[in-house]
Amino acid sequence: MKILETRKITKSFGALTAVNGVSLAIEAGSLHSIIGPNGAGKTTLFNLLTGTFPPTSGSIIFDQKEITGTPANRIAHLGLARSYQRTTVFPAFSLFDNAWVAAFATGKSWNGLMWKPSGGFPEASERARQALHDVGLEGKSTQLAREISHGEQRQLELAIALAAAPRVLLLDEPAAGLSPDETRKMVALVRALKGRYTIVLIEHKMDIIMSVSDRISVMHFGSLIAEGTPGEIQKNPEVRRAYLGGVAA
Amino acid sequence: MSFVAAQILNGIATGMLYALMGLGLSLITGILNIPNFAHGALFAVGAYLLATVAVAIGNFWIALLVAPLGVALLGLAIEYVGIRRLYAAGHDYQLLFTFGLALIISESIILIWGPIGSSYLPPEVLRGGADLGFTMYPKYRLFVMLAAGLLVFATWLFLEKTRYGAIMRAGIENKEMVSLLGIDIKMLFTVAFALGAYLAGIAGALIAPIRGLNPSMGVDMLGIAFVVVALGGLGNLLGAIAAGLIIGVAQALVAAYWTEASTVVIYAVMAVVLLVRPQGLFGIR
Amino acid sequence: MKRPFILIMVAIFLLPLAVRPAIASEIWIFAIFGLGLNLLLGYTGLLSFGQSTFFGSAAYVAGWLMKIHGVNAFLALGIGVGVGAASAAVVGYLCVQRSGLYFIMLTFALNQLFYFTAYQWTSVTGGEDGMPGVPRPALLGIDFKDPLIYYAFVSLLFLFCLWLMKRIVESPLGKILQAIRENEVRAEAVGYNVPRFKLLAFVIGGAFSGLAGVLYAMLFGIVPLEAISFVFSGNVVFATLIGGSGSLYGPVIGSFVFIWLSESMSTVWARWPLLLGMAFVIVVLFLRGGVVEAWHKLSLKFFLRK
Repeated sequence: MKILETRKITKSFGALTAVNGVSLAIEAGSLHSIIGPNGAGKTTLFNLLTGTFPPTSGSIIFDQKEITGTPANRIAHLGLARSYQRTTVFPAFSLFDNAWVAAFATGKSWNGLMWKPSGGFPEASERARQALHDVGLEGKSTQLAREISHGEQRQLELAIALAAAPRVLLLDEPAAGLSPDETRKMVALVRALKGRYTIVLIEHKMDIIMSVSDRISVMHFGSLIAEGTPGEIQKNPEVRRAYLGGVAA
Repeated sequence: MSFVAAQILNGIATGMLYALMGLGLSLITGILNIPNFAHGALFAVGAYLLATVAVAIGNFWIALLVAPLGVALLGLAIEYVGIRRLYAAGHDYQLLFTFGLALIISESIILIWGPIGSSYLPPEVLRGGADLGFTMYPKYRLFVMLAAGLLVFATWLFLEKTRYGAIMRAGIENKEMVSLLGIDIKMLFTVAFALGAYLAGIAGALIAPIRGLNPSMGVDMLGIAFVVVALGGLGNLLGAIAAGLIIGVAQALVAAYWTEASTVVIYAVMAVVLLVRPQGLFGIR
Repeated sequence: MKRPFILIMVAIFLLPLAVRPAIASEIWIFAIFGLGLNLLLGYTGLLSFGQSTFFGSAAYVAGWLMKIHGVNAFLALGIGVGVGAASAAVVGYLCVQRSGLYFIMLTFALNQLFYFTAYQWTSVTGGEDGMPGVPRPALLGIDFKDPLIYYAFVSLLFLFCLWLMKRIVESPLGKILQAIRENEVRAEAVGYNVPRFKLLAFVIGGAFSGLAGVLYAMLFGIVPLEAISFVFSGNVVFATLIGGSGSLYGPVIGSFVFIWLSESMSTVWARWPLLLGMAFVIVVLFLRGGVVEAWHKLSLKFFLRK
């Protein structure tokens, strides 16, 4: 079953077409990677999927419902959560509060929004704890986000997305700026999440992509140039020319 | 008919001065990224300096040259001594600082020149009216239109046609890029503040013979300058002129029929425009 | 909570011994005003420079109703809260889409709209002379004309407001507003309609300002034009910043310092705003972070520690 689908979506910023007629179908429960050289339009595609801005044309379908043009704050409630390539957390908050704010947003009820102590929402608190546990940060939940290491901030980035209890996770280069050791930990983390969530992954590091993905889509200059299993993509001559060739050289 | 035409001309004359105020403010705000609550006070200083110098030396023209330069110098000092130290401090403290300056300046005006307003006559040659065919119109206001128009044009020339102007425009768009180009950004900030102060000072100097002098003139103009920037956009020359003229003419027309509402209408126009076009006249944030 | 609460109770009881009851009342009224601003400034990160719009509008409307129609004090206070919230909703609606400097300038410009309306509408507001003759009607048989009784009433309302604001900032709403301050993009992405939450903060802040405005009008028996002017908006920002916008109690400390200082200065010299301006400049250049931090610097940490 397809859970997330785009039909010929295009996004232009003035003369620049960042995403050009991309049609993509994500199978429920799969890990689907999107690769491509810098500036290929991958992050713009994520911004379209999560409602940061509406597409210039084309449509987005989530769970058989058209969601094109739905604003970002509504998308989160539908069950799509994202992480950011550049760490986007709440710096002065404790790690727990970082996750809690995301958990509360998509919680069952906002009753008592203005007068109940924020500790009085066991469901949100439990989800926040679970999210921190899933990324391995449960031991640091009272520390402030601005005081932890870059690697830990990348984990927190993921925890905030998980706390929303999403059905689809959009991960934008979760290993950006990580050391080899931290990268290994992050890969293990993504692998552990595989199966529990439908995951759409943007990544640059080819070894990660090839080892974790079920399917791979390749973007180049805003367009989709190939799609297939890791094995098929490795053999695809056009991909080698556009992308892998550049790495090999 | 000629009455309405005269009112529209009045609106254009003051509207040009509003545009000058907004232009100066938007240079300061856009380049230095600070809220300048002292902009109105600088305007008032320009008016008082003009009157004082003109009376002291008996020559309006020299005073018109000297007064705005004095204000620019004051602006230079303010930036150099105070604002320079606050770029990393956050808007709340920048606001408090410039607001404090505004209080100091306007109270000093009362201490020096007294709490009661006074009128100031234009120079001999510009007194009386000129026959425009459809109406008689005060010569001095025609002069203001011309002078303000020339100043706006000169500012445009400077920003669009000179190297330093191009750097300034770049500074509004992208400060990192400017410092990467190896340009002395501290110097750029000082120059921008002084230039903005100059424009406020000359607007004040030009308005003195029309509206007279009065300690609260700075605050009144500060709000108007904000309106021009809110409608026209930061560093947007065309936007400042359009916004200045729109509120100037709207104010003059309303003043003709319902004097009491003539100030309120400026802000009402702003509220309505923002309601219809939240992004301002030319689609800014 | 404990230590600040005890300090505040002690201050409430000692203050009337140190200053005139009117000044003492003014301190707590201004603190209510500051609490409302700080929800925007400290918690949501929105620098509103137009808070006197809500303060003044409420003071005029409720003052007028008490003066002309003999409305009772409770109803007047309720109406003030409503007018404060409603005017804040209007201003907030126009401002929340803008950010940074545009936002600050817009709150100021709309403040000017209300100011000039009050200035010109002399038949109701009295224009520059202010609107005198605001009564202090008795309530449930208690005569508020006695300054000390009115002081007690103001103090009680202040404590209620402080308690209410504490509930609000410790509720999910408080967390969400702080999340918006910390990272607007992420707050939107995790599922909050940021403009709508900002508007809510405006409305709540406006309600507090409105209450303060009516209490102020009843205290002095007049609504001066300044009550709706940018000077008041600036004063409350200043008070909150010197108290420290980072904590719930910052505006309370700030109000205490500000009212005390300005009252003592204004009796000495008619041109005291000059001194006030200098105080602003000095605080910004040398005492950033507020009085709280300055006290900390003076190693009085034990005194304020929570």
